[in-house]
Amino acid sequence: MVVARALRDAGMEVVYVGNQMPPSIVAAALDEDADVVGLSSLSGNHIVLAPEVVRMLRERGTKYVPVILGGTIPRDDWPTLKDSGIAAVFGPGSSLHEIVSFIRTVHDAQKCKN
Amino acid sequence: MERKSQESSENMAEIAQVEQEWIATTYGKEKERRQEFSTLSGLLVEPLYTPRHVAELDYLRDLGFPGQEPYLRGVHATMYRGRPWTHRQLAGYGPPEETNKRYKFLLNEGAGGINGVFDYPTLRGYDSNDPRAYADAGRGGVAIDTIEDMAALFDGIPIDTISCSLVTCQPICNISVQSMFFANALRRGVCLADLKGTSQNDFLMETAVTISPEVFPPWFSFKLSCDAIEFCTRNVRHWNPISFAGYNYREAGCNAIQEVGLVLSNALACSEEMLRRGLKIDDFAPRLSFFLSAQSDFFEEIAKYRAARRLWPRLLKERFSPEDERSLKFRFHVQTAGVALTAQQPLNNISRSAFHALSAVLGGAQSIHVDGYDEALCTPTELSSVTALRTQQILDLETRVTNTVDPLGGSYFVENLTDKLEREISRFINEIDSQGGIVEAVNSGFVHREISDSAYRYQLSIDSGDTPIVGLNCYKMHEETLPCEIFRIPETFAIQDAKLKRIKETRNSRVAEKALAEVGKSFETNGNMMDVIVQSVGALVSEGEIAETLKKCAGTWDPPLF
Repeated sequence: MVVARALRDAGMEVVYVGNQMPPSIVAAALDEDADVVGLSSLSGNHIVLAPEVVRMLRERGTKYVPVILGGTIPRDDWPTLKDSGIAAVFGPGSSLHEIVSFIRTVHDAQKCKN
Repeated sequence: MERKSQESSENMAEIAQVEQEWIATTYGKEKERRQEFSTLSGLLVEPLYTPRHVAELDYLRDLGFPGQEPYLRGVHATMYRGRPWTHRQLAGYGPPEETNKRYKFLLNEGAGGINGVFDYPTLRGYDSNDPRAYADAGRGGVAIDTIEDMAALFDGIPIDTISCSLVTCQPICNISVQSMFFANALRRGVCLADLKGTSQNDFLMETAVTISPEVFPPWFSFKLSCDAIEFCTRNVRHWNPISFAGYNYREAGCNAIQEVGLVLSNALACSEEMLRRGLKIDDFAPRLSFFLSAQSDFFEEIAKYRAARRLWPRLLKERFSPEDERSLKFRFHVQTAGVALTAQQPLNNISRSAFHALSAVLGGAQSIHVDGYDEALCTPTELSSVTALRTQQILDLETRVTNTVDPLGGSYFVENLTDKLEREISRFINEIDSQGGIVEAVNSGFVHREISDSAYRYQLSIDSGDTPIVGLNCYKMHEETLPCEIFRIPETFAIQDAKLKRIKETRNSRVAEKALAEVGKSFETNGNMMDVIVQSVGALVSEGEIAETLKKCAGTWDPPLF
């Protein structure tokens, strides 16, 4: 929720859905025509659930939607996550500024492509 | 009778004058390194504290002696000279057979009690193989689905003599899991009246901290919490049926003032409900317990504990007129702040947690858990768990801070800060009162907003560098080799899934259905849900089945999101 507020303060429209499973997250993202999906995981379930969000977005969506992930994500897991299609991982201690910057960059890059 | 303060008013005026001159001349000659010095919760801190800052203090009225009113200096007379705080290290991961081994390891290494955490599915009322929970089975704590798991968890542990804390954070979890613990104890031939321990059982966890959809409505979560308090008051005399989880509100981002304000408001609401149910204040108040954080502002935390210890009895006496002095004791467990630890340069966390633990000891905690240095990375390994335990043992045995009770009592700074915090906390409690009490403050989203605002301010202050965190926003190391292993949770889903399938196939399904029907009936008649669920779990119904039954009865609620 802290990240959601920072993104709003940076002028982005944020739909914060709270604690949800992949099908609900993907449904909300498609409903809202989201440009970016941000996930947060503190329990270690990221290794199963984050790739599932990526997969479902690919299967059900019509455009590429970058998925970023933050939380308690061990560095050892980052390569697997990137391979599964996660656009960026923000480990513990990442600043709000880094996250906002990344989203701006990746969103602008997508706009150019489309 | 008004007593004179220690320093006469002329002397105080003289001190004030010399202080002004000192600031203008001696102090003023040197530069300060910040514009403003404040506590983590934003209270301004002055360069120096003198008798002037505690001029209104009356020793006997405001400080007194430990073990009696006003309890500022300690809930027990001898405090750590009598016995140390309980070294109560958390353990929980994977299937129950695995956590059982960690319990035994910690007890062997000198831990004073069990402190059991439960995994996310268990906390949310899901079975380990629920489609909403399978990715989290065994993560964050031990997986408990049925009474068989509870039996495996405590196999070979003398629950009749060792005190067991069950971190069943949320009432949806507590109502089943605590019932399983009690039912298992009875199966082992242990009388409920002999059990010693604590359950968290805090409705704020479920409705204001977890931010998950489809939780119980606040009124029902609160009712379940109170059902457990009532059940224990009548049947399990030495059990603390609730541990108001200020630590968790703090981890979610609130500050020290809100932390204590929320726990005390919650405790007041529970007390009112117990009285409404026909109990007397002294029947249950002695067993209401509290759970606080130890964050990084060393003196603010110490002053916070002291303020809470003096404020709670004052509130109780104003509202409920207790007669038993045991009702007045603010007994609390402390966990060193996880949110203050870093994934960067994790060994630094050993220092941080040691300072946190020291503040808890100087603040008079009854029991402590010290976080492992790998807290920001993973569930603790055996090495980080035992290192944390050793921190407690070193504090207790080597530093000699336990030689005297409340060693900081009388410090001009600490007493001034204690008073200030007590005033701010009172103000926050009055604010919640004006909203109609804590349950209403949750319904309206007030609590969520308060926590969210503080959390955001805190993060901004870290990002800006205003709150320095070594290794994170200063003294960073760009090439770091992790000096510790990352703990990997053992396979849990497959094990628990197989167990659940076996149990559901082999149990007497008629008896199980009847047990769940009884739960529904008890809801209809506004019965005590723990009374019926302690019976139901014997029929091998799962936590998920009980939670689903309760959700069908009470409905669900989505907390507001900010």
